[in-house]
Amino acid sequence: MKDDATFHDAKLHELAQRLGTRAAERLDVDRTAHAVVARLREEARAPARPSVWSRPAWLKIAAALVVVAGAGVVARGMWPARPSAAAPVETVDLSGMSAPQLRELLRSVEQPGAPEPVSSQDVGLEDLSPAQLRALLASLETETS
Amino acid sequence: MPPAEPVAAVPSPTDAALIAAWQGGDEQAAAELVRRHARALARFLAGAGAPEADLDDVVQETFIRAFRAVATFRGQCRFRTWLLTIGGNVLKDAHRRAKRSRVVPLGDDLRSTDGDPHERAVAAEAEGRLGEGLQQLPRLQREVFLLRAQQGLEYEEIAAALGTTPGAARVHYHHAVKRLKECLK
Repeated sequence: MKDDATFHDAKLHELAQRLGTRAAERLDVDRTAHAVVARLREEARAPARPSVWSRPAWLKIAAALVVVAGAGVVARGMWPARPSAAAPVETVDLSGMSAPQLRELLRSVEQPGAPEPVSSQDVGLEDLSPAQLRALLASLETETS
Repeated sequence: MPPAEPVAAVPSPTDAALIAAWQGGDEQAAAELVRRHARALARFLAGAGAPEADLDDVVQETFIRAFRAVATFRGQCRFRTWLLTIGGNVLKDAHRRAKRSRVVPLGDDLRSTDGDPHERAVAAEAEGRLGEGLQQLPRLQREVFLLRAQQGLEYEEIAAALGTTPGAARVHYHHAVKRLKECLK
């Protein structure tokens, strides 16, 4: 049994040593050597490929601007847009309003879901709280009475 | 006529000397390294499954990669052994690209004209089966087997080249032998 195994081992080794021998013999070693040297020479002559960080400065600046602009776009998308302070408003001369008109205006402000009150750019009525509007109304009533 | 003086044999430069010369810009040193190791490399690659039609290309590519990376060669094993492992990587990449795997073709062996035709045919068939068996092995087992059985390297040398231990190399070799024997039955 052991002899059989030894025989097979020897046979396997013999085959392994023969494997690829003919193909290797057919290789033209001198031609391969010339080809390798020629390729190495060609590689040495070719300018080294510049890395990203050795490109001209303007390219780096342009890349930085793109990154900043992109970050800005992303940041705008992440935070909810604030209401614009310069929303178009209809100009109303508050001083020309009567007390009932002002009271009606105040009621509309206090109602939830009510449409935006008519405001005045001059007075900045849209910025007043209900309490402030009430105080304003009271002062106007005092003036008219 | 004076008697001819005995010509002292000029020792051929070592691989390390040729590598140093190449690094110093001597192209002939590179060519000498190719001449010295190309056949052993070709034999290893053919055994590992390189098609003969592509053998020259794979050999060239292996040398190019080796010369590019020669600064990383620290002499942990012999230059030839290091070269063979690079050849294994080149062949793996080539197989991946081509999505094909072929052993040394039977027909190429039959083209040989020496010896008895019947014996040649039997030997070629056995080689073909061995080649097929090698393709069935995991890459590490295949390379350990070829480095040991075909190139005659010691386990220590194989382990240093493949980044493993001599014990592990021995185990891979024995697994490979066991499976290859089954292929040859």
